[in-house]
Amino acid sequence: MTKNLLKIDYEKYSLANGLQVILYPDQSFPLVAVNVWYRVGSANEQPGKTGFAHLFEHMMFQGSQNIPKEGHFRYVQEAGGSLNGSTSIDRTNYFETVPANYFELPLWLESDRMGFMIPGLTQEKLDNQKDVVMNERRQHYENQPYGMAWEKLFSNLFSADHPYSWPTIGWMEDIAKFELDDVKNFFRTYYCPNNATLVVGGNFNVPRTKDLIEKYFENIPKGITVPEIKIFRQNLSETKKIILEDNVQLPRIYLAWHTEKAFSTNDAALDILSDILTSSKNARLQKSLVFEKQIVQDISSFQYSAKLDGSFIIVSTAKPGIELEVVKNEIENGITNLISNGITDDELMRAKNSLKSSYIYSLQKLDLIVDHLNHYNFFLNEPDSFVFDLSRYENVTREQVVEAAKKYLLNHKVELNVVPKE
Amino acid sequence: MIDRSTAPAPGKSLLFNLPEVKELELANGIKLFFVRKEKLPIIFTDVLVLAGSKFDPPNKRGLGYLTSLLIDEGAGEYDSLQLSDEFEKLGSIFSITSNHDLISMTLLSMKENFSRSLELLSKIILTPRFEEKDFTREKKKVLDRILQLKDEPAFIASTAFEKILFGETYYAYPEIGLENTVAEIYNNDVKKFYQDIFTAANTKLIVVGNLTEEEAVEQFNKYLGSWNSFIKTYVTFEMPKRNPTKLFFVHKENSAQSEIRVGHIAKKRDAADYIPTRIMNTILGGQFSSRINHNLREDKGFTYGASSVYQYYQDAGSFEVSTAVNIENTGASVSEIIKELEGIRKNISPEEIEFAKSYLIKQFPSRFETYSQVAKNIEQLLIHKLSINELADYTAKIEATANEDVNKSALENVFPDELVVVAVGDREKVSAQLKNVAGNDAIELDNNGNVLN
Repeated sequence: MTKNLLKIDYEKYSLANGLQVILYPDQSFPLVAVNVWYRVGSANEQPGKTGFAHLFEHMMFQGSQNIPKEGHFRYVQEAGGSLNGSTSIDRTNYFETVPANYFELPLWLESDRMGFMIPGLTQEKLDNQKDVVMNERRQHYENQPYGMAWEKLFSNLFSADHPYSWPTIGWMEDIAKFELDDVKNFFRTYYCPNNATLVVGGNFNVPRTKDLIEKYFENIPKGITVPEIKIFRQNLSETKKIILEDNVQLPRIYLAWHTEKAFSTNDAALDILSDILTSSKNARLQKSLVFEKQIVQDISSFQYSAKLDGSFIIVSTAKPGIELEVVKNEIENGITNLISNGITDDELMRAKNSLKSSYIYSLQKLDLIVDHLNHYNFFLNEPDSFVFDLSRYENVTREQVVEAAKKYLLNHKVELNVVPKE
Repeated sequence: MIDRSTAPAPGKSLLFNLPEVKELELANGIKLFFVRKEKLPIIFTDVLVLAGSKFDPPNKRGLGYLTSLLIDEGAGEYDSLQLSDEFEKLGSIFSITSNHDLISMTLLSMKENFSRSLELLSKIILTPRFEEKDFTREKKKVLDRILQLKDEPAFIASTAFEKILFGETYYAYPEIGLENTVAEIYNNDVKKFYQDIFTAANTKLIVVGNLTEEEAVEQFNKYLGSWNSFIKTYVTFEMPKRNPTKLFFVHKENSAQSEIRVGHIAKKRDAADYIPTRIMNTILGGQFSSRINHNLREDKGFTYGASSVYQYYQDAGSFEVSTAVNIENTGASVSEIIKELEGIRKNISPEEIEFAKSYLIKQFPSRFETYSQVAKNIEQLLIHKLSINELADYTAKIEATANEDVNKSALENVFPDELVVVAVGDREKVSAQLKNVAGNDAIELDNNGNVLN
């Protein structure tokens, strides 16, 4: 039954200019969701020009030839819809959900900025959005407790020439330096139809929508072939320990290891390993550190896997008076114990059951479904991969979880201690 | 060639069927609000207990919150870990949220596991263990969390703002409690809160899912039909008054931004002009294209975002503008916010009103997409003791609102001369800027919103 529900009927094709189109009709609710992924993220940036993909995402809401500044918000909201965009290390997405009878509106808006962005650009708009982004950075990083930890961690885990070594939002001094020509060049290189996928999902008429997609997007010229990202396999030659002082009451430890990229051999086993270590009250490190020994306020972990590489991360905040060294030893003991004694069938079943129902729950929202179609298409070149994805987890064995832990979590790592300022 | 110069016209709008809400009753008289939603084989349950921190004794603030943390730490034959394990085996998501007015326990489960999940939920409600060792652990966790909250400027700003706004009433204190009041809470207090406040009398049930009305009644009667605690406890509330504008700040050393809150006491949710006020606030600061966000973000670049909201507690209302700005623009931002509050009283264009009405009316169906969204819409009405028919009448009421009603609502719900202004940031930079705005010294507060001397 689960498998039937997770099977998505869709149609995928490309226009002559290389734009990929995925249509997912679903008449169950009077909404249409449009979701565009551009295959560009902060990993496509260069040192000295970091944060560009994200700043550019902001500029995409500043209007284009036929859309005034803030026009995207105005048109979509007047129609009762919602919209936004987001930037990650690998990709940038833009999305609108509108009442079904407004389905043409997002096609107009998205095609105008894909094809006619440059005529709408001005210095004034760029200066304004640089200020906005610098304030976004202050709000989410500089002015947040532990806010500087992630960029410290990743810039130590990856070498300076690896594109996962800098934060998606960019370094403050780089954001301040961007110029209008940078914006234009970035647009010409990465925002072309052959570097994008358009998903339309929900309550729409398929032939009519195909016709309109053709009309809105076909005459946008094909761009150049997007430059490939060159990366080198990352290895830490020794364990690095970094101390960062911050305005915080309680010290926090971050441990990070290199692992594998998304959808690679051990990716699912590492996800399950993370669940078994920290995802519920009964998870090993939760139970031992939070519940029994009560030496930490919180602990979490994840396999952070992306297009080019992956890492496994554990984060924990010490209770007052507890040394981070003690916390680290307990975490390491938990890992070695798991490797020597294995995991139980119950632990594995618990993790799998929660995952299985979470796939069904995720089918409630159209905008999440269409974003997932783009996600699967990006990584697997097959939008309808819900069943495949779930089966990756269902097929994980106890031995694979232990092997994955053994393969990666005994290696050199980055240890970051965020401690209260003296 | 397609004409790109104008926005495409919309087609004919599709029919939206508002979910039908049935008001049912269990054997013991508890009301059950039922909505059948069949798309997926899932069921969402919301047990709404109108037992929030407003019932905390003044010397034990944080009691309701701590009770909400302890209620699922072991029940019936299961200890805390076993209980969590049972939910996980079913793939059901059980969670508890609480605030000043309520404790809400929600359960999202597959239809095939609904009965067993509801049985577990009923054990939590009817037979919580409240063991001493769990109490000690969770109380310590709360105290350490209160310590951590000193790091969070957004929390400090909201806490200080609400303290000034609500004076000595129960909405003046954070739900989590204060260091010295949580210290005064003992396990017996939690048991007493559960006995007196967390009762069937204060409870309403909402279920949205793939089941029939008969199945719902049968299942809920089976597991909660015997819950029989019908004592009602009352607390009294006196709505605080608005006062002439005063500026305050909380010192946060070396902060990169200041967190700003500006607002005042406002009407309750059941006010007659709720709808025109909502339209007015949509224009003022209720969404991205609003005047306040346009001014502070898209025009000045002072912030990543700024918004205003009418916040509705069960017994009170407040109006609040919030934003975080780079520290050098603290004073300028406060001035611009005040300018916008004055401006909305002077003039609202018919185009702005048309835009806001269109936005609110056309987005209405999308508020019923997920199972939990449907339940939360009903929950809001129950908290404010409003009729379920409000949902059916909502868009027609917006449509029928005249422009002069919107203009009038600005005059009667926005008071630019009676503001509480709070900024959290470095004293050196913030206090002088605020002085420039007001002409006299801003008053320094501690993290809890108490005036420092």
